[in-house]
Amino acid sequence: MADKRVTIQATRYDPDRDSAPRMQSYDIPFYDESMVVLDALNYIKNHVDGSLSFRWSCRMGICGSCGMMVNGTPKLTCNAFVRDYWPRAIHVGPLNNFPLIRDLVIDMDDFMHKLKSIKPWVIRKQELPLGAGEHRQTNQQIDEFRQFSECINCMLCYAACPVYGLNNEFLGPAAIALARRYNLDSRDQGLKERLPVIGDAEGVWECSFVGECSVVCPKGVDPAKAIQQTKLDTTMRFVLPYGNRD
Amino acid sequence: MATEIDMPSPHRGEGQGEGQGVKEYRWRMPANWWTRTRHYFLYVAREFTAVPMALWLIWLLYEIKLAGNGPAGYYPPRSAAFVAFSAVVLLFALYHSYTFLKLAGVIIRVKVLDRSIPPRVIVMAMFGAWAAGSVVVGFVLIWFAR
Amino acid sequence: MSTTAVRRPALSHLFFWFLFSNGGVITALLLPVHVLVQGILGPLGIVKVVDQHYDTWIRVLANPLVKLYLLVLIMFAFFHFAHRIRYLLMDFGVHAAKTVPAQVAFYGGAAVVTLITVWILLTTVPIGI
Repeated sequence: MADKRVTIQATRYDPDRDSAPRMQSYDIPFYDESMVVLDALNYIKNHVDGSLSFRWSCRMGICGSCGMMVNGTPKLTCNAFVRDYWPRAIHVGPLNNFPLIRDLVIDMDDFMHKLKSIKPWVIRKQELPLGAGEHRQTNQQIDEFRQFSECINCMLCYAACPVYGLNNEFLGPAAIALARRYNLDSRDQGLKERLPVIGDAEGVWECSFVGECSVVCPKGVDPAKAIQQTKLDTTMRFVLPYGNRD
Repeated sequence: MATEIDMPSPHRGEGQGEGQGVKEYRWRMPANWWTRTRHYFLYVAREFTAVPMALWLIWLLYEIKLAGNGPAGYYPPRSAAFVAFSAVVLLFALYHSYTFLKLAGVIIRVKVLDRSIPPRVIVMAMFGAWAAGSVVVGFVLIWFAR
Repeated sequence: MSTTAVRRPALSHLFFWFLFSNGGVITALLLPVHVLVQGILGPLGIVKVVDQHYDTWIRVLANPLVKLYLLVLIMFAFFHFAHRIRYLLMDFGVHAAKTVPAQVAFYGGAAVVTLITVWILLTTVPIGI
């Protein structure tokens, strides 16, 4: 076991020196069957090349910060086992469709602004006083939106989305799925505030249902479903009589 | 957000607005992106089905127009080339039907007695409607040819 | 980045998506059988098909229900095709396909095909049963 080795080809980019990203190859020990790509990157950082930059935090598929392209597919590197790729070399690159800051670190500002633009919180027309108690929900009401609330903002869906790749103005999968999560929430009354953003030309209408966002989602959120259902619901609001009422 | 000033950032990599003021490398989507994975290719094939189907319907319109020429000016479609063309269109049309009706199960949500109908049932209903529609149209096209 | 710009609900997109999705369902349900029967089985002589003979073709086309059916099929189908081909061009990196003139050209094209269909259905074979 100790003799097995694996080749990691990582994208390197130093904004002060490089005009374009380049590739660097690392030959490291494949020391443990349970080793994931993130472990390999940490091994490189600790033992081979301390200058390699990448984001990570929880190591257990919860924080959503270690998303990278592994052999061309957006993956959480903490969730991508080396044994699934070995003995072939593993190519690790920064997430597609985002500006590159350094090595494997992408600029997520655009995503953060989009997330904020759909107001991902429960909006009430009038806040009830604390003494009125909690907003109660039945299990069925929770089931309406539970799937869409699992998003960890890892941006894999944006890296998988060719529509976002071609047009960065597109609101994108995760933001629309999160908007739907709140629009379906029985406690929420903010649909009309979100509608101008999600119903915009750069909102749901830009999506052509490639469906790859749902394929790569590590949490089973299914943003493609959220987007198409939003299209249908928004259409029905205007097609059905009284559909546009509150 | 819109301004990107090129200045040395002492805070680079420390969280807050780390993209600002730093020289970034911007990717461009290659024109052949859809050849890179099987999923992308199948998606483009799905969208492309519109082209052969449109050509076939234009032919149908032409055939209806031909009926205005009178018995002497009407010639029914019998050429091998037309059959070959139709066979290709049929493959695309079937692929369109399969993908579109299957995806409808993702989109359409129906509630009966406060319970959501599972997507599988909706997809089955769509495929059932496809079979029923095909039988009706096929029946008309063949029965009235007697 | 246009996050600060005022966003308007895009009602035209909504309308054309409505036509697109309905056209998608209609062509999915009805087009394959037309292609199979009229394009393959009829020309090969495997079964008798209405359009293989002038008399039967005329008789079917004269029926007002058939005319209405053909109009609905072709109209929705072409709005579906126009939408898909426009988005396909955008996928191929043709940014012009996104502009308003392109939308006018594509959806206007579908509308023109619809008008031509109405004209053909009304002028070639008179309505009768």
